[in-house]
Amino acid sequence: MTESAAVATTRSTRFLRPERVKEATLLAIIAVSVVVFAFLIDGYLSGRFFNRVTTSVVVVTLLAAGQALVIFSRNIDLSVGSIVGVAAYLTGDFLTATGQGPIPAILVATVVGAVLGSVNGLLVAYGGVPAIIVTLGTLALFRTLLSIYSGGANVLAGDLPTWVLEFNNVTLFTIAGFEVRLVFLIAVVVVAGLQFALARLRWGRRIYAIGSNPSAAAQAGLPTASLVFWSFVGSGALAGLAGFMFLARAGTISATAGAGLELESVAAAVVGGVSILGGSGTMVGAFLGAVFIDTLKLSLVRVPEVSEFWRDAFLGILILAAVILDTLLRNRFNRRWSAEARKAMEATGPTAAGMAHVAGGGGTADA
Amino acid sequence: MSDPGPVIEIERVSKRFDATQALSEVSLSLLPGEIHSLVGENGAGKSTLIKIMTGLYPADSGEMTLEGVPFAPRSSADAQRQGIAAIYQEPSVFPDLSVAENIFIGHQDQGLVVDWKTMYEEASRILAKLDIEIDPRLPAAGLTVAGQQAVEIAKAISLDVRVLIMDEPTAALSAHEVDRLFRQVRSLKQSGVAVLFITHRLEELFAISDRISVFRDGRHISTRPVAEVTEESLVREMVGRDPSDFFARGEHPEGEALLKVDSLGVSGVFSDVTFDLRRGEVLGFAGLVGSGRTDIALSLFGVHPADSGTIELEGKTLDIRSPREALASGIAYLSEDRRKLGLSVEQSLVANLTLATLDRYTNSFGIIDREQERADAEVLRQRLGIRAPSLSTPVSQLSGGNQQKTMLAKWLNTHPKVLILDEPTRGIDVGAKADVHKFIDELATSGIAIMLISSDLPEVIAMSDRVAVMREGSLIGIYPRREATQERIMTAAVGAR
Amino acid sequence: MRDWAAKHRWESILIIVLAATIVVNVSLSPFYLGFGNFVNLFWLSIEKIIVVIVMTFVIINGEIDLSVASVMGFSAAVMATLYQGGELPFALAILIGIAVGAIAGLLQGLVITRFGLPSLVVTLAGLIGFRGAARVLLEDRSVGDFPEWFESIGQQTLVGPFPVALLLFFVGLALAWVILERSAFGRKVYVIGNSADVARFSGIEVDSVKLRLFVTSGAVAGLAGILFAARVGAVQGTLGETYELDIITMVLLGGVSIFGGSGSMLGVVLALFTVLNIRNGLGLANIDGITQTGVIGLLLIGSVLVPNLAQRYRLRRPRAEAVAHGPP
Repeated sequence: MTESAAVATTRSTRFLRPERVKEATLLAIIAVSVVVFAFLIDGYLSGRFFNRVTTSVVVVTLLAAGQALVIFSRNIDLSVGSIVGVAAYLTGDFLTATGQGPIPAILVATVVGAVLGSVNGLLVAYGGVPAIIVTLGTLALFRTLLSIYSGGANVLAGDLPTWVLEFNNVTLFTIAGFEVRLVFLIAVVVVAGLQFALARLRWGRRIYAIGSNPSAAAQAGLPTASLVFWSFVGSGALAGLAGFMFLARAGTISATAGAGLELESVAAAVVGGVSILGGSGTMVGAFLGAVFIDTLKLSLVRVPEVSEFWRDAFLGILILAAVILDTLLRNRFNRRWSAEARKAMEATGPTAAGMAHVAGGGGTADA
Repeated sequence: MSDPGPVIEIERVSKRFDATQALSEVSLSLLPGEIHSLVGENGAGKSTLIKIMTGLYPADSGEMTLEGVPFAPRSSADAQRQGIAAIYQEPSVFPDLSVAENIFIGHQDQGLVVDWKTMYEEASRILAKLDIEIDPRLPAAGLTVAGQQAVEIAKAISLDVRVLIMDEPTAALSAHEVDRLFRQVRSLKQSGVAVLFITHRLEELFAISDRISVFRDGRHISTRPVAEVTEESLVREMVGRDPSDFFARGEHPEGEALLKVDSLGVSGVFSDVTFDLRRGEVLGFAGLVGSGRTDIALSLFGVHPADSGTIELEGKTLDIRSPREALASGIAYLSEDRRKLGLSVEQSLVANLTLATLDRYTNSFGIIDREQERADAEVLRQRLGIRAPSLSTPVSQLSGGNQQKTMLAKWLNTHPKVLILDEPTRGIDVGAKADVHKFIDELATSGIAIMLISSDLPEVIAMSDRVAVMREGSLIGIYPRREATQERIMTAAVGAR
Repeated sequence: MRDWAAKHRWESILIIVLAATIVVNVSLSPFYLGFGNFVNLFWLSIEKIIVVIVMTFVIINGEIDLSVASVMGFSAAVMATLYQGGELPFALAILIGIAVGAIAGLLQGLVITRFGLPSLVVTLAGLIGFRGAARVLLEDRSVGDFPEWFESIGQQTLVGPFPVALLLFFVGLALAWVILERSAFGRKVYVIGNSADVARFSGIEVDSVKLRLFVTSGAVAGLAGILFAARVGAVQGTLGETYELDIITMVLLGGVSIFGGSGSMLGVVLALFTVLNIRNGLGLANIDGITQTGVIGLLLIGSVLVPNLAQRYRLRRPRAEAVAHGPP
């Protein structure tokens, strides 16, 4: 028995996990675009550009991670843009009033986000309202509450403690002009932590299970409602954290801050190979998606031939191209897997004895 | 104690839905190491009983005891914890998760961190015990229905269940897959599990059961050891009428060849398939699932157009690239997958009946003539005896048998010359099955050429004028009715001897 | 009556909400019942309304088109650029603007049907891309000074006693209703929304239906962009920005399932009336646009949540099972 088990596991060590394929594809696409841009732009491959991308990608990375978390369980969170706005504004207010340091500020932002996320989670998981309806609703609702709260006033950069605007530039260490900044490290740690949780923790596997087949998940006795609830809380908390990062970058926050980020986060996750139908994709993929989009944006600005107005047009086309490529590759692999599985099943052929039994059984019935 | 007590005892359990008494005072007990079959027509109360046993519904009255302890599960997960699991006709797997995760999710994956290595090893061990060679790391998405069921059985083993309910597990399987499933079930039996087995295929009952219980109209009719049961007695108890009019097909005069298929092939799937189909003939297609029977049908129907060979209908060569073109040429295909490919179940009965012929009911502005549509639908409904509250009833609310008839009627309304029936009686009860058989006979008599694909051997043999046997993508042979015995067909289908 | 309400639960809820809105509005503002206000109600949202109607088809068909607002902007930008160039007759510029919208829809539709990509993804790329294209054309300029006849479309021209907007709305609505609920095309839209495979196996030209919907969606979005331009009298690259979420909200509020296959024109029209009346009422009460949107958001959630909760308190009874076990 142990022998055949060994056979079964060694039989296909060449087997590539689908997630790895997606991530590798995207990494290759990013690499190719960097090379292309390096040809188009003088002095492109500099530490300065690296620093700029790693700083600016932070907000979308955090949002894409939260979005992916929710999409894995076959839901969607369209309210993240509004959560960013609310968290950034309230944190800004808090800092203006108290002049506190970074840790309380991050805490406030994250908690605000988590609370708003829990509203979504409650309505989706326990209210039985589809996520797209809930979050379209809260997208508007959170923004409205912010607008009422702000009364038209802005959080002003000048009123904030000075550390806030320097927060983005805090550098941990520098390698040949490539600065590793604190904000980027935070984003990377968050992504790595979530990646580990989703791949390794029971909790994470169950999130995938729900997205893969919700009714089977309920049947298997998984606590689907609480898992979905907590995934929305997670998405909200990450959006809150992103709100803090947004504040640190922008300084001045109006009631419309962060609008439109919801679709950008979905775009990053989807480009990163997160299936919109739930159940598959990785955090690393979502992160790469965010990096890809951000690199494109920042690079296109610097291509002299591309006016600033061309940027978005290009971006749309490139996102589409990435997704088409991903789909074509995935289809190829899918075909191979099912062929392999089918072959494995066929290989275990019927036994003559069992055959005779079935036929004999039929014979008895005829008699 | 030489005679062990029952694992589970169900006593006078009743359940009522609105006006319908689904179960009235049903009693049943399962012994350890017993394969106990439960039969009855759709609506006999089998599935209600299963749902009560697995905690999906509470019983209105009566009680259950599991190994002497009162048992009232609150959910299917609760039932599983207490030792009762169910496997359904359509297994519910997680397509994106690995086979191993599918086996262990929800019960043995305790602890915070997943130990992949141990999980894969455990999964391999269980699969090996079942004689299944599937890489436990593969995503379940690629598995066949049989493979998915194997995963569910593996799950039941890992759960260490004492009662395993199998609700029509063979409906989507080929003969050789059924054979392997039976071996797996017997090994469960050996380890002392009580198996409650539900099927519509009578010959399977005799092959696998120790005891057989019959339900009818929510009542328990009988429980007997298999030796004391005959097919006739069983059918009589199930339907409450005489079984003489089943498999009623008589001899047919032979018409001229209508469809000529010559050296047809789709690379990598099937090749060099040649046969004639005559007017008024029923040509049976036997073979294992995956042997290429359905693929030939899909190719004739334009879903996966052939890349070699020719198709000739009434002397004209056809090049069919889509179902639309196939229908225009007079070829209709009743799919084996009613839910995914056959019916738009959320739509009304009338919409489904006219789905393939909508253009016939539209004026030049594309507006549907609803009166004409309903009139035609009514004719079809009566002709096939579809039981439905009204023509506007969503098809999802009809029983399996009536859904199957609806699908048949839909294709009939296209006035096909060639009708391909893929597993037309899968998963429907004895009464509806007889209706469908009778109807196939009528259609053939009216001059339609019928290709009958079925994994139910007695059905193929009883209904067909000739039986074609497929194996691994090749047409092995075509046997005239007289020569088509179960042994000969099975031998050809698996390539034994 | 009760039968109808049971069958059309969603529509019934909307009728109640709508009635309540009207009652509140009447009591709040003396201007509410005026004819001018009634016309305003439609006119101020006409470009959204026509897109909502087409979006209803798209969503019932099981797809979504997130690019509509960007296509609005793009079409209007094309028209404005051609007008500024001065080479072409203005009417032709308008037609080209609409045609460009149709082409935008065609391109997306082709990618969706050929590659089998989810429309959410493709039109999300379209949302970014076509907005970008509008900016490419107009950069940060604003084009105005359109011919008088064009802007007069925007000034509520009357046809007989009826403003153009109102006529447009009712004619479009009647047409949409007939197509969706009475034509073969509409039937196909529903069936494909339920299951594209079943449709394909029934000989329905699935890809062609989808393609036609996306082309229509693009063309109508183009028309909407141009109507918007006529109403406002100027075109900017940001024209219509973020309308997509508003439009989808109205369709979903109308009871159309985001998963496709179900929903009705009546529901969507009721949702439209409700949203317009709420906005109008709040507007008359001097409540700003953002807050209005928040109220609509609340309504969207509440309209699903409240019936859900109500049902939970009722006796839990598996209905489908009861039917399956009905008289054989």
